[in-house]
Amino acid sequence: MSFNIEEGRYIILGSIDGLLATLGIIIGVSVVSASNAVIVSAAFGGAIALALTNGVGSYLAESTIEHGKLAMTEKSLLRKLNNTYVESQSRRKIAKGALSSGGASFIGSLIPLAPWIFSVGSVAASVGLSLISLVALGIYAGYISKQSYAISVVKMVALGTLIVLAVQLLRISHLVQ
Amino acid sequence: MSQIKRIVLDVLKPHEPTNVEVASAIGDIRDVDGVNLSLYEVDQQTENVKITVEGTDVNFDLVLQTIENLGGVVHSVDEIIAGKKIVEEEETLHDRG
Repeated sequence: MSFNIEEGRYIILGSIDGLLATLGIIIGVSVVSASNAVIVSAAFGGAIALALTNGVGSYLAESTIEHGKLAMTEKSLLRKLNNTYVESQSRRKIAKGALSSGGASFIGSLIPLAPWIFSVGSVAASVGLSLISLVALGIYAGYISKQSYAISVVKMVALGTLIVLAVQLLRISHLVQ
Repeated sequence: MSQIKRIVLDVLKPHEPTNVEVASAIGDIRDVDGVNLSLYEVDQQTENVKITVEGTDVNFDLVLQTIENLGGVVHSVDEIIAGKKIVEEEETLHDRG
């Protein structure tokens, strides 16, 4: 199964979602518990839920658009396209969208979780690994968009850092209380 | 039944599959020696193409089935050449006028 620019959108969306949401869970849970098992359970549960919601969300969104496109084409052709190559390509596109979105989300979630799975967990390690992954995602986004790699990386890392800072601020406010 | 040597079809098809894919799929049919696909009109959802298929014994039903499976609709069969040799259309006085 090859992935093209269309799937690239879902890979970027899913990865960022999985990466940053799981990092948020890790930072948040680490405030109330230093236990490795608690953090892994909470983050892994979040990772599974994110992968499923991203996959199902993409499936529903993509199938709505694809069925709409098919209906418009059928109207122009004055024929049904059931059991044709066109319909099978449409179904394949829906499946690829759901798989790439859900899969990328799950893989993205595992990155900040990795130090905790291997019992060397620290929030700094999770943040560091996440930032490295954002750099890689920025390069991928630059390749897909045929834009400057540097700008793409800076945008990706800056937005990711903003989210991490926002979560860290919530952590500080928790300590203040 | 004599063997079909050439079929010319007027087809309405969606943009996807591409014309390259359609021509290639028809070219893969058994006993088809060559395919010419010419685009002559593009609309928002569809395009009109003229498909010329030549071969030693072209299976007309299989060509229609392939086009329909690719989402196309055959508007008309514009030319059929069958028999032992290819006979081209002759120009008549009426055509010259």
